[in-house]
Amino acid sequence: MIAARVVPAVAAGAVVLSGCASTQEPDVRDVATAFTDAGGDPAERCELLAEAARTALESEESAPCADALPGLPLGGGAVQEVAVWGGNAQVRLTGDTVFLTETSAGWRVTAAACIPQEEGPYECEVGS
Amino acid sequence: MTAPRGFVRDNALGLAFGGLFLVTLLGQAISGTADFNAEQVANGLEPVSFGDYVTSSSFGVDVMENWQSEYLQFFLYVFATVWLVQRGSAESKEPGDEGMESDEEQRVGAHARADSPAWVRAGGWRTTLFSRSLGLVMGGLFLLTWTASSVAGWAAFNSEQLADREDPVSWVGYLGEADFWNRSFQNWQSEMLAVGSMAVLSVYLRQRGSPESKPVGVAHAETGETG
Repeated sequence: MIAARVVPAVAAGAVVLSGCASTQEPDVRDVATAFTDAGGDPAERCELLAEAARTALESEESAPCADALPGLPLGGGAVQEVAVWGGNAQVRLTGDTVFLTETSAGWRVTAAACIPQEEGPYECEVGS
Repeated sequence: MTAPRGFVRDNALGLAFGGLFLVTLLGQAISGTADFNAEQVANGLEPVSFGDYVTSSSFGVDVMENWQSEYLQFFLYVFATVWLVQRGSAESKEPGDEGMESDEEQRVGAHARADSPAWVRAGGWRTTLFSRSLGLVMGGLFLLTWTASSVAGWAAFNSEQLADREDPVSWVGYLGEADFWNRSFQNWQSEMLAVGSMAVLSVYLRQRGSPESKPVGVAHAETGETG
């Protein structure tokens, strides 16, 4: 009979994958606040955008990122909450919600100036 | 005089499946990394390393959701075959033998023998527990791996939520998500199909030399014989 003849070759261990969320939070927080800081250097802030988001922004605004960024409605403010899951993160600021991805160069912003919707994804001015 | 059989020959079935398990797990890890990275690139994101993938929640949930369903299958089968029979099946007891059977048939209590396992000879709660140990361990492993599946699935789901610019959910919230139940049911249904097929097909089909089959010449109506 199947069950009686099974040889339990490998004991199943629960793989609890909580990741390294807590160690990543300071980096995520720093990138989100630096990117949304209206007083920061636009060129340096643009370096914090993920490549696809930067390309989309420049295409949409028909201008280099550093020229377009100061005109965008980025709320910024103090960090309220940081969520890191795998290679993706979300930072809630008092005036904005920012989404980030982990790259080989560190955490980069994929979407900002985001407004929650009744249902479905946030509507974002940057990175949409 | 016959030569000593040796450890490998005596344990060939366990060793073969242990080895196949490791090879197929590696295959899953390699193909899973390629699949995950194809999706990363399609979404304009950077590919991840093999090491990052095998320690990710995506790999964890894909492994755990399969493990939990295997242990559920054996847990249910071990208990179901105590009470349910399939006439003519190599997987079943004889009709009429349903239930826990007598102490004599099970070699417990006054019928324990000198070579019976120690907890059978001990009597009392040890014998009661040992009499159900296979099902309990299978059930325990199912609960453990299903819980692990829910935790890894929760982490993978939240990572996808953030990639899709949606809010993450709590673990309890994830247990109410279609993602969790879809992963569970799609694995469970395949196990039930496989077990049901085996129980019924072993009535009419044979595999010469296999203990999973009746001897080739045994009548279809004969139950519980294995070759």
